[in-house]
Amino acid sequence: MSANNLFLKSAFVRAPLKNGVGRYVCQLQRIVFKFCKSNGASRGMRDFIEQDLVDFSKDNPGVVVYLKPRRHRGPVIVGEYLNGDRLWMSVHNKTHEEIVKWVELFRTQQGNNWNSRLRKYQYTNHPSVQGPWTPFTFKDPELNTAELPDVRFGSNNRLPATATEQLRLMFEKQKLDELKTAE
Amino acid sequence: MSAAKRVQQWATFARSWHIFDCKWQDPYESAHVIKKYLMGMHKPIYHPMNDCGDVVVCINSREIALRGDEWRKRAYFHHTGYPGGASWTLAWELHNKDPTMIIKKAVYRAMTGNLQRRHTMQRLFIYPGENVPEDVLQNVTNQIRQIRYVPKRLDHIPEEEVKNYPKVMEYPEDFVVK
Amino acid sequence: MALMRRCAPLFARCIKIPPMTLQSQKIHRWVAPTLVELKRREKKLGGKKTNPRNTFLEWNLEAELYAFGKRLNEEFDSDLLLQAFTDRTYIIKEEMKQKEMGVDIPMKDNMELIAEGEKFINEYVQLYLETVLPKFPLEGVNEVRNYLTNEDRLAKISLSLGTKDIILAAEYPVDNYILANTFKAIVAALLESTSEERAAHFVRDFVITQLQGKDVNEYWNIEDPWTMLTGILEKDGSKVEPRLIGEVGKNTLLACYRIGLYVNKKMISEGFGEKIEIAKEMAAREALKRIFGTEDHMKPINFKISGIPKGSSQERYQIASN
Repeated sequence: MSANNLFLKSAFVRAPLKNGVGRYVCQLQRIVFKFCKSNGASRGMRDFIEQDLVDFSKDNPGVVVYLKPRRHRGPVIVGEYLNGDRLWMSVHNKTHEEIVKWVELFRTQQGNNWNSRLRKYQYTNHPSVQGPWTPFTFKDPELNTAELPDVRFGSNNRLPATATEQLRLMFEKQKLDELKTAE
Repeated sequence: MSAAKRVQQWATFARSWHIFDCKWQDPYESAHVIKKYLMGMHKPIYHPMNDCGDVVVCINSREIALRGDEWRKRAYFHHTGYPGGASWTLAWELHNKDPTMIIKKAVYRAMTGNLQRRHTMQRLFIYPGENVPEDVLQNVTNQIRQIRYVPKRLDHIPEEEVKNYPKVMEYPEDFVVK
Repeated sequence: MALMRRCAPLFARCIKIPPMTLQSQKIHRWVAPTLVELKRREKKLGGKKTNPRNTFLEWNLEAELYAFGKRLNEEFDSDLLLQAFTDRTYIIKEEMKQKEMGVDIPMKDNMELIAEGEKFINEYVQLYLETVLPKFPLEGVNEVRNYLTNEDRLAKISLSLGTKDIILAAEYPVDNYILANTFKAIVAALLESTSEERAAHFVRDFVITQLQGKDVNEYWNIEDPWTMLTGILEKDGSKVEPRLIGEVGKNTLLACYRIGLYVNKKMISEGFGEKIEIAKEMAAREALKRIFGTEDHMKPINFKISGIPKGSSQERYQIASN
């Protein structure tokens, strides 16, 4: 049951350079669209470039967009991120709508995450405000000075009161009431 | 790791020593409680791979109480591995031979049968009487409560307390108690 | 019986059981060994050689600089930004090349910008930390500031902002020193292009937020916490009483002691340790943390202070009298 013989490493959720704490920086640095001007496989890509590319660059001025028309080669999107990752993706025969969605994914990713699985969906440096548990947390301080084994700490104290004990308590209460009425 | 974090971890994973008085207790009921402390299941940091179990010191194991006819009828099986090496020992015979064996077997049986069991059993110390070595007793800092109530014997209560105890009714002088 | 056995294959052909195949990617068995061999040869020749990004066909320096500014949500003066990215080594190399060719194109380097940026960053970070940690002594604040404006930290920040590809330097890959300098130069360029406030917010959002999730006490090493604590409390006239309030496994190797420090019979801190001396020292450290307001459960540092804060505070403790 160990993880060191598995190829998929596990990682925790992290933001590069504490991204949201100060200002948010879009992690996509540049995106390269390589396509063919005439081949059918690049049709979706060409539609995207004609219709949605200008709006995309207007909305994301922080992303440098390069267009590379190449004859006789399949359409490809290459995204480069601020942490150095380079993501190559073939969009051969993909439709315009699909490419829009993939480009949106590229924009919102923070890099290459194919080789790590997320162990948890949260991360914090301060999991506890009251402090971590220690064996001393809920311990009775009387135990520090007691000579163990002691009847006070060893005997069963969860049984209900016996009949004798109940009668005794009733007797004590009666005595107290008599004293009060006498006063 | 900074010193503060190191020291905090040391405290969280510290191994406590508990003491349990087996006098007049059923070994099989107490075994369930003892096994919880030995495995570390009473801690919020428990994990089977964590090695967070505590040490338990059992005293007065000679004084344990089995139910009903069990002293006469319960038999413990042992096989030496050699042909004809099977032996059935009754509880009273085993107890006479070694007063710590019954509670040890009870705790061993209560635990899950995995490879950690033998290692965890080494954290259990059983003493037949009140006599515990000094260094072991010094380590002990907590007591596990007994499961069965141990009533106080009449001749162990001081005389004046017996005399002054409130009575519901007075028996007449010539009354004969059957 | 033998007839049944002979007829079984005929029946088997009639019943078609669909083959159960597991879904798995078809990777040929020679792929992995080939990649291993290629990597071995690459390693033998001295590791993977990467080309700098500006030698690629798709590269537009002007677009990259514009995008750099926009990505950080800042308006930069384009000349100043280009100046911030040009390193001295690059200028020297360019001048040599230009001498050979006989052309003279003046390019400014970023030396003054680096000095200006460094000064601004140090002053601003000091003021911010003094505001945000009001009770922390100045020695501690200085140590935290040294940690935040460390060359390695600034280089890491600079790398994560994407300056690695745009920097004009003589060698590739760029080393930490140049990356850190470029960051300082960028801050100075921002300071000159826009106001002090915007530059302050920039430094706050990228340099000071690195403190998030970190324990501020880690960076200041106090040699003798006990004497420091007794010194501070003596000025108020109170005496510290250390008491052992818990121990576990006294005679074992895994012994743990818990010591509490009491002032006027009220507990101010507790510490754990393997030995009593260690526990006492840690309890003193905890008490100091409480006095300086930097405990584990302190209020989170405010990363949203706008403008240039005023650092002076009356509550600050002075350790050294001079």
